[in-house]
Amino acid sequence: MTGRRWWDGALRGTGYLLLGLGTAVVTLLALPLLVFPGMARGWADRHARRAGRLLGTAVSPPPGPLRDLGWLPVHILTGGAFGVAAVLGAGNVLLGAVATPLWWLFPADDPLRLLLVVPVTSWGAALALGPLHVLAFGILTCWLAPLLARAHARLCLGVLSRSALAQRVEVLTATRAGVLDSHGAELRRIERDLHDGTQARLVAIAMRLGVARESLTDDPELVARLLREAHEGAEDAMTELRDVIRTMYPPILADRGLSGAVTALAASAGAPTRVELGELGEIPAAVEAAAYFVAAEALTNVAKHARATSATVRLARVGGVLTVEITDDGIGGADATRGTGITGIRHRAAALDGAARISSPTGGPTTVTVELPCGS
Amino acid sequence: MRVVIAEDNVLLASGLELLLTSKGFEVAAVTGDGPAFLDAVDAHRPGVTIVDVRLPPSFRDEGIHAALAARRRHPGLPVLVLSQYVEREYARELLADPTGGIGYLLKDRVSRVGEFTDALHRVADGGTALDPEVVAQLLAGPRPEPVDRLTPRENEVLALMAEGHDNTTIAHRLVVTENAVHKHIGNIFAKLDLAPSDSGHRRVLAVLAYLNGRGDR
Repeated sequence: MTGRRWWDGALRGTGYLLLGLGTAVVTLLALPLLVFPGMARGWADRHARRAGRLLGTAVSPPPGPLRDLGWLPVHILTGGAFGVAAVLGAGNVLLGAVATPLWWLFPADDPLRLLLVVPVTSWGAALALGPLHVLAFGILTCWLAPLLARAHARLCLGVLSRSALAQRVEVLTATRAGVLDSHGAELRRIERDLHDGTQARLVAIAMRLGVARESLTDDPELVARLLREAHEGAEDAMTELRDVIRTMYPPILADRGLSGAVTALAASAGAPTRVELGELGEIPAAVEAAAYFVAAEALTNVAKHARATSATVRLARVGGVLTVEITDDGIGGADATRGTGITGIRHRAAALDGAARISSPTGGPTTVTVELPCGS
Repeated sequence: MRVVIAEDNVLLASGLELLLTSKGFEVAAVTGDGPAFLDAVDAHRPGVTIVDVRLPPSFRDEGIHAALAARRRHPGLPVLVLSQYVEREYARELLADPTGGIGYLLKDRVSRVGEFTDALHRVADGGTALDPEVVAQLLAGPRPEPVDRLTPRENEVLALMAEGHDNTTIAHRLVVTENAVHKHIGNIFAKLDLAPSDSGHRRVLAVLAYLNGRGDR
């Protein structure tokens, strides 16, 4: 630790404690008001944020009004006691610095006492003891103030903030809701595609075949036309069905796994694309599909916007995290607001509690990195 | 002509059998997996075989492996591979062995009975039948720069050539004279700097190797 930061910490700690003493007193005086539900909320929140700033940690919204009430006595007691300690420490430093040259102003029967007990009755004693007093209390304050301030801040946050586990649960609850949302949207899209496309076409085909069957002997020309239309309709239905299946779970992924599917993807990419594969092991199907679509969308972006002469797809797994990285040597400046590609990549990563990073300075290169937990 | 089929889906297998029988083929055996297919090929020595890509036990790409294994055992055995979807990677693997006819078509194409049996005959005669969608994937991917110098009409001729059609069929499809097709092909080979070859399997392979090869770099 550098001297300057050490000095900073002492100053900040002292300031924190002195202000804490003041607010502890105010809290004590306002206690009859603050015990009413909701009244302590803003007051407690200010302190939680102040404590968070001191500790350099993020402060999550507090868990409930009971915690606010519990915090009131904690703050009054610790804020008051620690604040008094800070006043004593800092006050003695000030006393030593200001009063020592003025020792002769003190009455002879009640002289200035330095280092708490030693009376000062001559210039010799003042010059010897004064700096010693300032140094001793200075060191004590500088050492103690940051410790006490952090202890108080941790106590406050301990009462007012949720635990790391609780915060993790909250993040997971939110991402799970996101997964369910996107899963539901995906199911609705598939249902719509099948309902409006394939199913409607099959109905039209069956109707034509029904009419053709009725007219078999009377109107051969009509039958020929109906059969032709039914045939074409069946072909269209097959094409549509294939497209729907491809967007659900690409068949090549089922056939060849992620490595083979990404290799095939790279072979048909717009820019010459190299694939670097690490040891992947068993990967859950949902993660494989997400990784595949991320690579596909990133390579589509490369072909559409990057003006790249080459690209690289890297797949690696470290522990329980699969990393997909797509790099190109194009012009950079990828803009999430311009197309749906980058947004889509972020959504796919978030849906599996993963993370997406995009680095694309103007002039390139562009790197898309997606990390997906494999659930093990 | 004797045909051996590897298709585990009973509906599709019986449909194929009905269609082929009505068109004068003799369906010698319908098998449900790779090993049974290999045994049936050994037993019947078919003039052409039809293989579905997805077969038991894992329903992945067993059909591709079965087709390649059958051709290793019987060099030059004509194989037409059918699939619910096409992937240029599979086409590359099937075409890696240049001896004997090879076909790779979407199952959809079977319903165009005339075109399907044409393709089957072409494969039986040692030719190529590549699905238009595979060719489209090849032409849409990273491709050698000279391909961009082809005229739209030359591109159409190139695609039909890659599908495995002969000059007569190409002329018929594009509604031009065979002479015109001949001229286009000459131009294409000149622009791509390929040695001109006859209108056979070798020509298709040259074109495909050209389109495929550059994608690797």
